[in-house]
Amino acid sequence: MTTVLAPVEGAAVGLAAVPDPVFSAGMVGPGSAIDPLRGPGEAVAPIAGKIMKLHPHAYVIVGDDGRGVLVHLGIDTVQLKGEGFRLLATEGDRVRAGQAVVAWDPSAVEAGGRSPVCPVVALDALSEAVTGVAQGRVHAGDELFIWE
Amino acid sequence: MGERKVTVAAEVGLHARPAATFVQRAKQAPMDITVAKAHGGDAVNAKSILAIMGLDVRQGETVVISAEGEGSEEVLDELAEIAGKP
Repeated sequence: MTTVLAPVEGAAVGLAAVPDPVFSAGMVGPGSAIDPLRGPGEAVAPIAGKIMKLHPHAYVIVGDDGRGVLVHLGIDTVQLKGEGFRLLATEGDRVRAGQAVVAWDPSAVEAGGRSPVCPVVALDALSEAVTGVAQGRVHAGDELFIWE
Repeated sequence: MGERKVTVAAEVGLHARPAATFVQRAKQAPMDITVAKAHGGDAVNAKSILAIMGLDVRQGETVVISAEGEGSEEVLDELAEIAGKP
């Protein structure tokens, strides 16, 4: 069992609310999404493990059990090519759950015409494996869902 | 063993939508399917979104998709089309 933490502060809205069908239809995997609090902030690791992939707009942490969790900071944010994001860790680093990984500003993403909503996805998980999904206000580091 | 060599055309590489579509199609097939970069490196499980993201294929890079068994030629054709789609 893996407890997956909210990577950012905001409102837990569920994957269905993500304005991108790849995420909202669960094509990437099950999980949840957070509509982040606007203003400068830090996105943290949702689980403890190794940073397998670190892009400015998205990262994947893999736990010791081999489970990977994707955090995507906003939608279509790959187009920003890193502008407005600052890496606080390095790919390959081991991180604690809740450790800061990327500094960003959801309001800047929104001002650029993109959704700052952050999908948090249990990669390769069956949809029924994700339970206890939080709803409503969460702080970074709060429990977001359980990966059974 | 069937193989398709395909150059990834999508701007985002084999990530996001192309990766999710690719893995969804691969998962529907009964046989083992692997993907490797054409210029070396390990072959990874085509049915794992984690493995595909870890492979980190960028736009313009060429991958080799491999499978064998009944129906594999058709699956390989479809996967090559997904991976090669701009």
